Amino acid sequence: MPDGSFAHPQQRQFNPYSDNGGTILAIAGADFTVIAGDTRQSEGYSIQTRYAPKVFRLTDRAVLAVNGFAADGNMFVKKVKQRLEWYRHAHAKDMPLRAIARLIQTMLYAQRFFPYYVYNILGGIEEDGTGAVYSFDPVGSYEREACRAAGAAQSLVQPFLDNQIYFKNQKAAPGTTHPAHLPLSDVLSIVIDSFTSATERHIEVGDGLEIYVVVAQGRSPQGLDAFRGAQELSTQPNGDRMFIIRRELKKD
Amino acid sequence: MDHFPTNWGRPRNDAFDPYGTYPIHQRPAVKDNFAEGVQHTQQPIVTGTSVLAIQYKDGIMMAADNLASYGSLARFKDVRRLHAVGTSTVIGASGDMSDFQAIQSILDDLVIDEFTHGDGHDLGPAEVHEYLSRVMYARRSKMNPLWNSLLVGGFRDGKRFLSYVDLLGTTYSAPSIATGYGAYIAIPLLRAAVDGKQDQLTEEAAKSILHECMRVLFYRDARSLDKYQLAIVSEAGVQISDQIQLDTTWNFAEGIRGYGAQTQ
Amino acid sequence: MSIMEYNGGSVIAMVGKECVAIASDLRLGNQALGISSNFQKIFQMTDRIFLGLPGLATDVTTLKETFRFRVNMYTIKEERELEPETFAHMVSSALYERRFGPYFIEPVMCGLQKTHDGSYKPFIAATDLIGCLNFAKDFVVAGTASSKLFGVAEGLWEPDLEPEDLFETCAQTLLNAVDRDAYSGWGAEVYVLTKDKVIKRTLKGRMD
Repeated sequence: MPDGSFAHPQQRQFNPYSDNGGTILAIAGADFTVIAGDTRQSEGYSIQTRYAPKVFRLTDRAVLAVNGFAADGNMFVKKVKQRLEWYRHAHAKDMPLRAIARLIQTMLYAQRFFPYYVYNILGGIEEDGTGAVYSFDPVGSYEREACRAAGAAQSLVQPFLDNQIYFKNQKAAPGTTHPAHLPLSDVLSIVIDSFTSATERHIEVGDGLEIYVVVAQGRSPQGLDAFRGAQELSTQPNGDRMFIIRRELKKD
Repeated sequence: MDHFPTNWGRPRNDAFDPYGTYPIHQRPAVKDNFAEGVQHTQQPIVTGTSVLAIQYKDGIMMAADNLASYGSLARFKDVRRLHAVGTSTVIGASGDMSDFQAIQSILDDLVIDEFTHGDGHDLGPAEVHEYLSRVMYARRSKMNPLWNSLLVGGFRDGKRFLSYVDLLGTTYSAPSIATGYGAYIAIPLLRAAVDGKQDQLTEEAAKSILHECMRVLFYRDARSLDKYQLAIVSEAGVQISDQIQLDTTWNFAEGIRGYGAQTQ
Repeated sequence: MSIMEYNGGSVIAMVGKECVAIASDLRLGNQALGISSNFQKIFQMTDRIFLGLPGLATDVTTLKETFRFRVNMYTIKEERELEPETFAHMVSSALYERRFGPYFIEPVMCGLQKTHDGSYKPFIAATDLIGCLNFAKDFVVAGTASSKLFGVAEGLWEPDLEPEDLFETCAQTLLNAVDRDAYSGWGAEVYVLTKDKVIKRTLKGRMD
């Protein structure tokens, strides 16, 4: 064109991904696991909704938190749940946690060249009754850990967890050692503090907090039944127990 | 003419191997002769602007103006962007209008298929939204999106339903939702008026809030029109209104330099 | 790669009860390659002002000397000691002079401000690389580990900490933040400033 408007032809390509913000977090105790996530869903500077769950119950003893691109996250959870149902029909039992972890790796890696843009954290109770957390990258690399934060405020929360859960850079008082696992009440305080801190300093975190707690079969829920607003989700009278705790976060 | 006999009699696409000849020995890559003929939507052409929707006491309400723009040209001024699906659902579309018409066809076919079964079941808003979000997500995954942001609202079995789905397959639900410029201009007004008060909000109040928001949008969104339709879904079913004219005043512009007609 | 991350490094300052603390790591890097583990980023400007300069190392050296010069000129001309708040504005205007070709430094400063009744009020401030001032009441952070510092500090800090508790809070915040940052670490130092003394402690940290 004479005005030079076509001098530099532009190519616009459809971008199939988006980032919907939010943060998730999981901490394993000796015989329990806590999995939490905020409930804000955003795109750019807009809050789409103040309540979009990122944490999902998979079985009586497994909980999955997904964070990143919400459409991929929801689709991924849907497909994991479907695979777990097929497993139940084939084997007449729930898939064990470590098997779910490997399943998730396989499912993520299957999409290696068009990945689910999602960070997954799987928490629950292992077959030996211990609390476990598995964390994944979008293409399926995973490991079992004691605690992990992911999402928008990962960089704010993870070093805090290193300090408070792993006691990094802290020396135990003479003649004592750091506890290998913290009691449930301490873990819940740390989780709530992590999210209030993240809400304070990160614009994509806030609105609401959903905390899932899974307690191993026969173990004491350590006064959780009396915890403010704790709601029990357990399906079996004598199995592992699952609870959900909801908290408000700042909405600005 | 394909000069490689090993390719003869095979499908154009060798992603599958119907004759079970695996392992397939080194064959030259076959060009899909029709590939260049396949076009994907790369950008929206004829577009609709914001759709607004809120929950209220007896159901949900949705509003969208009647304009379909061609770039900055107000091309079609009598377009219906609210569409009833079945007896308890309404969808509203912003984005590409031809893609929206394709979606209408898909959903109408779906409703007919469901009716033909004659099993007494039909689709409610939750089912329509689930189906629609699967279609949208599937199309984005084929890098061939339907270029729309859609709202799905409805009322069924005594329960309200209001959700969003867009060209990426992103979904969410909230007491008040808006697409396009509405997400920036109308949402602050709607959240203040609706969120947390859904169960008290009367039909009259809900109508007037949406009317006010449509007016604000017409004042500030250059791709909008002062003519809109309102859909109400409640126990009574889906009612999509006739076109509603917005009354606007512009005499304030007179005194503002650079806004109204220039006198000096 | 951003020039702000070329050499790495992080600084934090915190307010306590009649005291302030400032801490930094000691790494100097050339992108991912570690060069030195005793590169100072915190400098004493007066008896009661400390300045932290995370960012491009060459500008650390330049600005340290620039501010030494400017503080001396102020003290000589005015024949009085420079107050921290005045110093903050001096830093801000020095950086804004280079608005369109900035020094790649995000200064963090702390000090004890003399009040009318003769006591001292804790003062902290930080600016961006072109001198936009931030007078926070709790803590300020800067450098390659800033987001981590924010997260940990937001969780650990509380009002009215005594000097020893402030030291521990500041040290723990810095150490745990830089351990999650590839461009910061390799040792750390903490200064706690009280009305009658300055406590300097050099910390051992992870060397990976």
